[in-house]
Formats: sequence, C-alpha cells, structure tokens
Amino acid sequence: MKKNVSSDKKTSVFHTSLFFTAFIVLLAVLIFSMLAAVTFGNADISLREVYSVIGYELFKLDRFSSFADGAVHDVVWLIRFPRVLLALAVGMGLSVCGVVMQAIVKNPLADPYILGVSSGASLGATLAIMIGVGSFLGGNFVGIMAFAGALITSFAVMIISNMGGSANAGKLILTGTAVSAVCSAFSSFVLYIANDKGASAEVMYWTMGSLAGANWERTLIILPVILICTLIFWTQYRNLNLMLLGDEVSITLGTDLHKSRTIYLVLSSVIVGFAVYSAGMIGFVGLIIPHVIRILFGTDHKHLLPLAALLGSIFLIWSDVACRIILKNSEMPIGILVSIIGAPCFIYLLVKRAYGFGGGKS
Amino acid sequence: MKIEAEKICLSYGTDEILKEVSLYAENQEFIGLIGPNGSGKSTLLKCIYRVLEPNLGCVFLDDKPVKDMNYKSSAKKMAVVAQHNYYNFDFSVREVVLMGRSPHKKAMERDNAQDYALVEQALKEVGMSAFANRSFSTLSGGEQQRVILARALAQQTPCLILDEPTNHLDITHQLQLLRIVKNLDVSIVAAIHDLNIAAMFCDRIYVLKDGEIVGSGTPKEVLTRKLIREIYQVDSEIVTDSQGQMHILFV
Repeated sequence: MKKNVSSDKKTSVFHTSLFFTAFIVLLAVLIFSMLAAVTFGNADISLREVYSVIGYELFKLDRFSSFADGAVHDVVWLIRFPRVLLALAVGMGLSVCGVVMQAIVKNPLADPYILGVSSGASLGATLAIMIGVGSFLGGNFVGIMAFAGALITSFAVMIISNMGGSANAGKLILTGTAVSAVCSAFSSFVLYIANDKGASAEVMYWTMGSLAGANWERTLIILPVILICTLIFWTQYRNLNLMLLGDEVSITLGTDLHKSRTIYLVLSSVIVGFAVYSAGMIGFVGLIIPHVIRILFGTDHKHLLPLAALLGSIFLIWSDVACRIILKNSEMPIGILVSIIGAPCFIYLLVKRAYGFGGGKS
Repeated sequence: MKIEAEKICLSYGTDEILKEVSLYAENQEFIGLIGPNGSGKSTLLKCIYRVLEPNLGCVFLDDKPVKDMNYKSSAKKMAVVAQHNYYNFDFSVREVVLMGRSPHKKAMERDNAQDYALVEQALKEVGMSAFANRSFSTLSGGEQQRVILARALAQQTPCLILDEPTNHLDITHQLQLLRIVKNLDVSIVAAIHDLNIAAMFCDRIYVLKDGEIVGSGTPKEVLTRKLIREIYQVDSEIVTDSQGQMHILFV
C-alpha cells in the first residue's frame, strides 16, 4: 500500500513537470514559428534581410540601420510581422474560446464557429460595413458591432438549447446551425439590398477569413485584449473544471456558477468579436486544438488552457504561411484552408462515439 | 456540528413534495432517512445541501440559517455524496478528489502540498490509492462512488450528507463505506434504501412517506413489523442475533 502512495506522488510530480516541459517546448516552437513565418511570402527577400529588419526594429542596432526604411523594411515590418502577430492572437483567442465554451456547455463539440457565434459576429460586422449600423460608436464601430453580434448569438444559442430540458450535444449543434443560418441569411439579405460591389467584396473577405488585412494599428489592439482575456481565463481554471461537474455538484463544492458562466460568455464573445473583426470567420480551431491537448494532457484546465492557447497560435501561424504559399502569386483565404482541415476532424469526433472530455478509452 | 431542518415545504406546481418536514442531527450523530421510492428523500436532502430552495422553512447548521451563508462557507461545513455521478469528461481520479479542496481556496490560490496530502489520505481511506492516475470515466459505478466519497472526505467538513451512498456497491464496499463515515466523528444525514444497513449504522432513523415524516427514533423503536407493513406493504419478521444486532427478514 505504502509503495503505491509514494509511486503516485512521483507520477503526480511527473505530471506537473510534464506540463512545464510541454509549456516551454510549445513556447519555444511558437517563437521559432514567428521567426520562421516572416520569411515566407510572395516578395523575394533573403533571410538575412528579414532578420536585419527585425533586428533593427526590435533592438535598434546601428549596424542594421540601412534597413530602417525602404521596400524591404516595409514588407517585413509593416506587412509580414504584424500579420504573424495577428495570426498568433487570433489562433490563441479562438482556441481559448473553444476551451471555455466547451466548459460552459459541458460538451467537447462546442466551438465559436459551430455554435454560430462567429456568424453572429460576421452579421454584426456586415451591418456595420454595409449600412453603417452603430457608426455613432466611433472609429472602431465595426469591431464593436462584431462583438455585439457575437454576444447576442452566444446568449441566444445558450437560451434556445436549454429550452425544454437541459442542453445536450445534439440540441446545441442544431441550435448553433440554425442560428448560424439565420445570421448568414440576414447577412446575405443586407448584401443583396445594398447592392454595393465594393462593400460586397469586403464582406466576402469576412466570411472566408483572411489575415491579409493585418496592420500594426489593429494588431496592437487585438493582441493585448486576447492575451489579457487568456490570462483571466487561466486564473479561472478551478471554476472551469467545476463547470464540467455541473451546477449541483458545484454548489456542494462552494461555487455558484450562474454568474461566472455569464461573465465567461461575455469575455469569450469579446475574443470572438475581435478575432472575427480582424480576421473574418475561421472555424474549427477552437474544436481541434483543445481536443488534441486533452488527448495528450487531460482535462484539467490549469494545464489545458495555456497549452491550447500556445498550440492554437502555432497552428494559425503555420496555416497562414500555407495560405501564402499554396497558390502561386495569390493567396488562399485562411478560413477555407482551416475548414478543409477542420471539418473532417469534426466529423471524425462526431462519429467516434466514445469521445468524452479527453477522448480517452472510456 | 448540529444539522437542523425546520418545517421544510416544497412543491412543484400543485404537487406538494415535502409537507412541513423537520429533522435534526446532533453533533456527530448518524441520522438515517428511509422511505419508499418517490417519498421525497432526495428532495429533502437537496434542500439541506442547497441545490433546491424550500418554499417555506429553513435549514440551520449550528443554529445559523444556511440561506444567509455564501456557498463557499456552507461547503466548508457540509460535504455531499449524491447518487448518479455520471460525467461526460475525463478527469483523473486525483483531479476529481482534489476538487474537494476548492471551497477552501481563494480565487487565485494554488493547490499546496497539504491539499495533495489530504487527497492521498482520502484516496487511501476508501481504498482507491492505486487508481489515483486512472481516468474517472473508466471506473465502475462502485469505484466512482468511492472516489466521490474520497472527494467529500478531502473537503474536511463537520457534516456529511449522503444520498443513497451504497447504490452500485457490492456488500463488501457497502459495509466499508459506511464504516468509514461512521468512524469520522462528523454529523451525518443519509438516505438509505436497505433497512438492515440502516439498522446497523444509524443512531436514529426518520421515516418519510409522501413528503411527511411518519416516524422517528432509534432503529429498534422505528423498525417494527407494523411500520414496515404500513410503509412498504410487505410482511416482515424482526430477529435479534447473538450480538444484539437486529435483523429484518422479509417474508
């Protein structure tokens, strides 16, 4: 008996150190990915030039001062680098939202895209761009409308799927699909009656998803917002764990989750709103990434959340690189690419009936 | 700690589930709650552990009304082992037990060595140490029930509420579980199906029928042929064995 206990302690220590190792490794991979991703692109720029520009901008080294301006500098520093940072932020945000929404609805199939939240954000953005709804909100009103759309749809999906008995996987996915269809229909309707070719192209960009619109101004807003939201969610790991046990058990363990559920939903709508505002609709990231991390490291949100955040960032950075180089002299919308990878994974999860939170051998 | 429920009334629509039910458990007393299916046992316990709010009446812990406490402080006083813990997730056994420590934690506080020590101790007590790293969902119903008891033990509370804790358990583990909780020096209110088990472990028994208390007292006082006939519509014979333990035989 004693032997058992001591070996268990060892494995518990092993578990924690495994997490730290994974965290450090993923962090290293993320930094490497960022540095590697800036070297890919249509413009023919050598590696030395790329890193000289970055070396100049980050550390203001004098010997790189010849790269302080000019076309190479602009491509690397004003186009590629903010784009990589935006991919990092959006990937992290979508992945973290996936984790949180899965905890809120107690179902591993939840994801901002599947629950229709992305469509809601997209409708909000469409209304803002096409007919200027919400323009009194100031310069960033498109983003604010995207957030409002995300918020309204996430509450709508929660309420509708809880009608007549508590929500289950089937009801949630059906509700998400229905709400998503309603939002898309309204978006199309607005596009149709506005009949404005330029704006239609802009909306098209939302629905397919692309990071091409990245610039420093946008990146410097979204990156801190998503990092802060991620950190906030990380501190909430205990509540996220409790959510999976259900409301009754949580009360006996001293936490009433009604309030925190609403707060988390608002926070994740902020993330989705910002992500959709700056990169359009990118589906399935929030589904696949948490799933992979759960298989490897378990369901405990203390470990799941930060690892999913890092892996989501890495995944989106490389997806964006792929989009830039798959087609010659043109770019593939990232939403299409990610859906091509993600949708089959989703189908696989649906078919594999044993899938619980963690995909273990249950 | 004294647990007291005073004149609890609860109805769903026009259905009166509980009609002015009162009971109490003195400090370190083991109280059994028996009654047929649908008599309101679980509902009453849920009112006590705050998942349901009674329409009328009040629950007290050491004479303080629980409705005035926040959930954290009542969870530090009262742990619950409920029936049916089927979860759609894959926490490890240790993680599940560790959640029993959450009422003792402030918002940002980390789990410390003492928490882990309590978890190991609780697992050892229910004989599940060897399963600590297993996934909870891969365990059998009885094993899961013992893990949930370990979680309640790790919660370190002076009161324990058990809702048919021995469901899914074989006789070895039924007796083991009840002996563990009996030796805990805590106040216990437990809904128990098996009358013989109730007679063995309870200091006092309350009998619930159609949402009303129809009898209470020590097992010897309560479990009579007449009452069993009245409540369960079965004939029985009560015998006492050589050690003075009463047994109910159904005929």
